[in-house]
Amino acid sequence: MNGHYMVEAFLKIRFKQLYRGLTGIGLFRIVFLVLLFAYLLLFLFASTKKQPGSLYVAAGTVFIILSLHIRRKDKLFLKTCFEKHTQIYLSEYAALASIVILFLAVHLQWIALLVLLSSIFLIARTDIKPRHLHTLNTKFQSFIPASSFEWKVGIRQSFFIFVPVWIIGFCSSFFIGSVPVALLTLGIIISGFYSQNEPYQMVILYEKSVNRFLYGKIGMQITLFGIVAFPLILIFIVFHSNKWYIPVIEFLILTSIHAYLVLTKYAFYEPNRNSQAAQIIGAIGMVSMFIPVLLPVIWALSVLFYIKSQKNLNIYLHDFH
Amino acid sequence: MISIKDLTISYDKQSTVIDSLDLSMEENSIHGIVGLNGAGKTTLLNAIYGLIKMDSGEIHRADQKITKRDISYLTTENYFYSNITGREYIGLFRNVRFDLDKWNELFSLPLDELIDHYSTGMKKKLVLLSILKQDKPVLILDEPFNGLDMETCRIIRSILLRLKEREKTIIITSHIMETLTNLCDYIHYLEYGKIVLTTDKTHFQEFEDTLFKSIENKNIGLITELID
Repeated sequence: MNGHYMVEAFLKIRFKQLYRGLTGIGLFRIVFLVLLFAYLLLFLFASTKKQPGSLYVAAGTVFIILSLHIRRKDKLFLKTCFEKHTQIYLSEYAALASIVILFLAVHLQWIALLVLLSSIFLIARTDIKPRHLHTLNTKFQSFIPASSFEWKVGIRQSFFIFVPVWIIGFCSSFFIGSVPVALLTLGIIISGFYSQNEPYQMVILYEKSVNRFLYGKIGMQITLFGIVAFPLILIFIVFHSNKWYIPVIEFLILTSIHAYLVLTKYAFYEPNRNSQAAQIIGAIGMVSMFIPVLLPVIWALSVLFYIKSQKNLNIYLHDFH
Repeated sequence: MISIKDLTISYDKQSTVIDSLDLSMEENSIHGIVGLNGAGKTTLLNAIYGLIKMDSGEIHRADQKITKRDISYLTTENYFYSNITGREYIGLFRNVRFDLDKWNELFSLPLDELIDHYSTGMKKKLVLLSILKQDKPVLILDEPFNGLDMETCRIIRSILLRLKEREKTIIITSHIMETLTNLCDYIHYLEYGKIVLTTDKTHFQEFEDTLFKSIENKNIGLITELID
């Protein structure tokens, strides 16, 4: 197949996928996402004006693209079907980073631009196998209840980040910023645990009513995150007792965001496939960790998604009322 | 007795997949459902399990509305949560008496490996293990022998026959007629969303001959025309 035509055809498919994802979100949330996107653009524009901001933005973009490249599941398909599959990677990643590239060029941040472009080029040409292809069974997984398969899998995938972050946070807790940063990082990692939809058999097997199912999921999430966070909060209070409320409030906020992510997942739940709408809306929850103004929106959406989850899961759990 | 009365299912107004279907299935026996592609076998199984909305009709077991509590269901294609091991998957189902490692001596699955690494046949064996662990009174198996090797097929056949003796009701579909005639007590022939024929063990041979003859007669003219 002609290389140029191939890339064009693939980009068209990607746009169609994006369109399908957006149509599943609904008009109200699209407007909200557009506003959020505009805010993100302003933030990026401001951050890329000078160094070191431009370098941080470039590094962040490289990190996101690298994560996508490692996790994407169509590599084998592209490799077997298309001779010039690296061109597809390259064009997709360039399109993804186009706004950052534009901003860096406008602000004449040539070093950051060079770092970004060369990294994209290198990533596209590198065949990195995801680490999760290897089975990692640790003692940690055996302590996690069987029903919390999201945590078992999440810990398996992020073990080598999760555990060091916790240990560093704990050991350096005499620095006031250490525990809050560790909690935030762990909170972000845990947010990723709910990005995958399970087959319906794994929803039905608990034989619970919709409400009990949702309470069970959220309750287990809070319990497990509580077990992870409690020692960190405690050691923070030992060293900085007058600022006890910082990790406590942070824990509560993160917990509410996790509950929002659980509800988003089941509000848009479809067996055996991951809903793009849920992923985009879930991303708002992640963003709200950095933009606290969004938190009331997250809480309001949580109530809406609770009702939507009830309707959506009723198809599978109506026998267990 | 599992009784289905006046079951109608349509995906849109124009296409009725199951059309006023009536079927009674004796319990503690093995029932085969056979039909051509698109006859509505999987839709019927999904309806019994309660996965799809019925336009009309009722499905009862022992005069009670049948629910998912009564049934284990093996679907044709099996999907799993990524990055989960076989042991973790089976661990999700509750049954303290189930000795997984002992059962696995029959299937030889690498239970501590990620399911993502399993072949299609291994995935099917894993779901069968989960069904056995659930120990429910009704088992619905949609094409259970697809993708399995000869030895596993024989093992599953023995398991199903033994389960029937333990008062389980098994509803099974297969495209291979021989599989059904060797295993089932009753075979129900589904055509255009209706059960057009039910036959028991004593008439399987007759049923098979008639069915194959009718399929051959239906197509022989065109086949002859195309080849000649």
